[in-house]
Amino acid sequence: MEHFALWLAAFLTLGIISFLYKDNAWYKLTEAIFVGLSAGYWFVTLFWDNFYGKFWIGKGEHAYLYVGAFLGLLMLLRLIPKIGWISRWPLSFIVGATSGLWLINYFSSNIMKQVQATIFPLFSSQYGAGFDAGAATVIGNLVIFLGTFTGLVYFFFSKEHKGAFGYTAKVGIWVIMITFGASFGYTVMSRMSLFIGRIDFLLSDWLGMIL
Amino acid sequence: MSTKAKEILAITIIVIFCLIFYIRKVNGGEGILFSSLVAWLVIGAMVLSLVWILILTIRGRLISRRVVFIYVGIALALPLFMPFTQRIPISPEVRALYNSVETLKPGSKVLISFDFDPPSAPELQPMAESFIRLCFERDLKVIIMGLWPQGPQQANMALEKVLSDEKMKVKNLQYGEDYVNLGFQTGNEFVIQRMGSSFESMFPTDYRGTAYDSLPLVRNVKNFSNIDYSFNLSAGFPGSVEWVQIAVDRYGVQLGLGNTAVQAPQMYTYLNAGQITGILGGMNGGAEFEFLCKYKGKATKFMLSQSFAHMIVIAFIIIGNVAFFLGGRKSALKKS
Amino acid sequence: MVVPARAVPEPADSLKADSVEIIIAPPTSPVVSDFKYDDGNSLILTWVPSIDDLPVGGKVLSYHIFRSDNGGEAKKIAELIPGANYYKDEDLYSDTNYAYHVVALSSNSRAASFQTASIRPQREWVNLNLKYLFFIALIIAASVIYFIETAKRGKKLFVRKIAGLEAVDEAIGRATEMGRTILFIPGIHDMDDVQTLAAITILGRVSRVVADYDTKIRMPVARSLVMTAARETIKASYMSAGRPDAYNDDMVNYVTDEQFGYVAAVDGIMVREKPATIFLLGAFFAESLILAETGNSVGAIQIAGTARPAQLPFFIAACDFTLIGEELFAASAYLSGEPKQLGSLKGQDVGKGIAMLAILLGVLLSTIAAVGDTETITDILNFITRVFTVTN
Repeated sequence: MEHFALWLAAFLTLGIISFLYKDNAWYKLTEAIFVGLSAGYWFVTLFWDNFYGKFWIGKGEHAYLYVGAFLGLLMLLRLIPKIGWISRWPLSFIVGATSGLWLINYFSSNIMKQVQATIFPLFSSQYGAGFDAGAATVIGNLVIFLGTFTGLVYFFFSKEHKGAFGYTAKVGIWVIMITFGASFGYTVMSRMSLFIGRIDFLLSDWLGMIL
Repeated sequence: MSTKAKEILAITIIVIFCLIFYIRKVNGGEGILFSSLVAWLVIGAMVLSLVWILILTIRGRLISRRVVFIYVGIALALPLFMPFTQRIPISPEVRALYNSVETLKPGSKVLISFDFDPPSAPELQPMAESFIRLCFERDLKVIIMGLWPQGPQQANMALEKVLSDEKMKVKNLQYGEDYVNLGFQTGNEFVIQRMGSSFESMFPTDYRGTAYDSLPLVRNVKNFSNIDYSFNLSAGFPGSVEWVQIAVDRYGVQLGLGNTAVQAPQMYTYLNAGQITGILGGMNGGAEFEFLCKYKGKATKFMLSQSFAHMIVIAFIIIGNVAFFLGGRKSALKKS
Repeated sequence: MVVPARAVPEPADSLKADSVEIIIAPPTSPVVSDFKYDDGNSLILTWVPSIDDLPVGGKVLSYHIFRSDNGGEAKKIAELIPGANYYKDEDLYSDTNYAYHVVALSSNSRAASFQTASIRPQREWVNLNLKYLFFIALIIAASVIYFIETAKRGKKLFVRKIAGLEAVDEAIGRATEMGRTILFIPGIHDMDDVQTLAAITILGRVSRVVADYDTKIRMPVARSLVMTAARETIKASYMSAGRPDAYNDDMVNYVTDEQFGYVAAVDGIMVREKPATIFLLGAFFAESLILAETGNSVGAIQIAGTARPAQLPFFIAACDFTLIGEELFAASAYLSGEPKQLGSLKGQDVGKGIAMLAILLGVLLSTIAAVGDTETITDILNFITRVFTVTN
C-alpha cells in the first residue's frame, strides 16, 4: 500500500510539472483530480464542521443558532430563480456585519497605528538626546518617513501631479515600484520553496536519492 | 525522429531511471552525496553555460522558456547532493521573535494558529516544527488551533515529528496537559473575534472530540488574557492580517508571525509599528529560526537550493534585460 | 498591559518551616478601581511592591492576589511574578462587591497588605478611549457624503489624470488597425467586490470606443452575475453609439467559477485568438502572472489594474500599463463620473490629507522636540500622538 501511495503521489506531482513542457493530457488529468478533490474536501469539511459540528450538536443549547440556519436556508433560495432575490437578505447581513467589523479594524490597525508609528524624530535615537542617531538609523527613518509620505501623495487624486507636488508623487511611485520589486523577489522565493518541497519529495521520499 | 517518438523515448528513459532508483531504495540503497570536486565542477559548468547563453542573447538569439525551467530545476535539485553548508545570517525580526519566546517563563501558555494547508507546507512546516520544538524545550505549554481546515492536520504532523525525537521522549509530554490541539473552526476572522471573549465557545471540543472542560491545559483558559504568547503560521486569508487587527489591536495579544514569503513583505508594516514581536518570512526565515534553535531541519537543508535558484534567477534577469534593451518590447505600441 | 497571570490549582501555600525565616515587608497601598469602558466585568488592582522586591537579590519570590466576594472568605485568584504592581481581574459581575489584598511571598514567609475597599465593576455604554478614532472616521464619512451630494447637484469634482487611462483609446485603436480582438478579463470575483464593479465601469467606456470603431470584443467571465452585468453594459454602449444591431450576447460568455479552470480557458483563448489588446482589471489572485505572462507571450498590449498588493508586481512586470491599487477606483470614478464613486474618492482624499498632515507635522515637531525641547512643541506633539493612539 505504501508503495502504491508513493507512486501515486509521484505520478500526480510529475503530471503537474509536465505542464512546464507543454499542456498535455497527463496535466489535465492531474488538474481535474486536484480540482475535484479540493471541492469535495471543502464540502465535507464544511458539512461536518459547520452544519453537523456547530448547528446540529449545538442547537439544543443555543437557540440563536436557528437564526443562522434560517439565514443559511434563505441563501439556498438562489437555486429557485423565481424567488432567488430573497438570497440577497442573508448576503446583505454578511456584507453589513463584515464591513462594520472591518471598518474599525482597518481604521485602527492600518491607518491610525501606522500614522502613529511614522511620527518619530528623524535624527535622534530618543527625545532630548540631540542629533545622536547613527547613519543607519537616520537612513532608515528617512526611508520610512519619505516613503510613507510620498506614497500618500501619489495616491492623492484631488490635485494634478505638477510642480513640487508632481516631483513628490514621482518619488512616491519610485518607492512603490521598489516595494513591488521586493515583493516580487519574496514571491520568487516562495515559489522556489514550494518547488523544492516537491523535488525533495521526488528525490528523497520517493527515490531515496538524497542522504 | 518525430516529436512524438522523442517524447515517448524521453518518458521511457525517465520511468526506467525512476524504477532503478526505487528498487535500489527498497533494497536499502543509501543516498548520493557528491564530493567537493564534483560539486565545484557542476557549479563551474553551470556558470559557463550561463555565460554562453548571455553571449547568444547579445548576438540576438533568444533561448526558449523551457531552458529557463530546466536551469531552475537543476539549480534546485543539485545542491541537495552537495556537501556544502551555507552560512545563515540572522535578521533582527527573527531574533526578536526568538527572544520573545525565550523570555517566557516555563509553564507559560503559547497559542499557535495553523492557518495554512499542504500547498504552503514546504515553507511553513519547518517553522512549525522548530517553533513547537523550542516551546517544548523551554517547558512552555502549547495550544494549537486552525482557521484553515487542514491546519490542525499539519499541526499533528509537526507534533508527531517533534515528539518522536529522543530528547522530547525523555520529557514524557502528555496530551491535554502539555499540549493540546483544539482543531479547526469555520468563521474566519470572526473566530478570532469570539475567542476574545471565550475560547470555549469557538472550540467546545478539541480535535479528538474531548470536551474543552476536561482538558487540564485549557480548562482555565477563558480568553486571550490567559495566553502568554501567540504564534500565527499563515499562508493567506484568514491569517496574519486578521490576527494583528483583532487579537493584537483589540485584545493586546503578544504575537509573532510565520509567513509564506509572498505574504511577508506586507507584514513588515506591522513590525515597524510594533504590533508584532517578530516575523519569520519564507524558507529563509525558517532557516534562520532553526539556526537560533540550534536545530537543523528542512529549512536549513533547503537553503542551499534556494540560494542556487536565486542565483539562476538573477542571471536570467540580467540576460532578460540584455534581450529587452537590445530588442525593445515596449516600442510595440508606438509602432502601431 | 496585562501582567501575565496564572491561576494556581493548589488550595493553600505550603511554607518550609524547618529553615530560618526570611522576613519580608508587605506590599503597600493596594487600590482597586474600575476598569474603564468595559461591560462591567473587570477591575484593576494596583499596589506598591514590597521594599524587599528588588531586581537583583530580591527576597520576594511571588505575589498572590486574594479576592473576597460580597464580604465572603478571601480566596487566592492569581499568582504573579516579582516586580508586579498591577492586576486586571476579569469575568466579574457588575452586581457583586469585590475586595482584594496582595500577599508577598519569600521562600518561607509571607506578608500581606491591607484589604482594599469593596467596589463593584461599572458598566459603560461608550468607550471614550476610541473618541479620536470616532472623530476622524466621522470626518472622513462626512466628507464622503458631502462630496457625493455635491457631485449629485451637478458640480464637477476634479480628479487628476491617470496615466494608464490615456493608453486605453490607443490600445483599442491598435486592435482596430490590426483587425484583431480585444480581450477583457474582469478578475475572478463576483459583483460584490468593488474591484469587479470598477472593472465593469471601465468596460462601459472601453465598449463605447469599441462600438465606435467597430472592433471585436471578447469577454470570458468566471461568475454568472458578472456575465449579466457585462452584457448589459456592452449593450448600453452599443445603443448609445447608435449601433444596437452590432451587439451580440456572445461577446460575453461564462466559463467556470473554478479559479484555475477559468485560467486554463482564458489562456486557451489568448493562444488561439491572439488578441491585440488585453484588459486585466479587477480582483486577481495567483492567476495574475499566468494570465499576464500568456498575454505577453502572444504579443498583446496589456492594460492591467487591481487593488491586490500581492498581485501588482506581476502586472507591472508583464503588462504595458498598470492601474495601481486605488488608481483602479479612481479610473472608474473618472470615467463614469458617477457621484457615489467620485464622492468616495474625494472623501478618501480628505482622509489621506489628514494622514499626510499628521505625519508631516508630527515628524517635524518630533525632530525639533528631540533637540530644543519647548513646551508648546511638546504639547502639540503629544496631542497628535494621542489622537492617533488607539487603546481599547
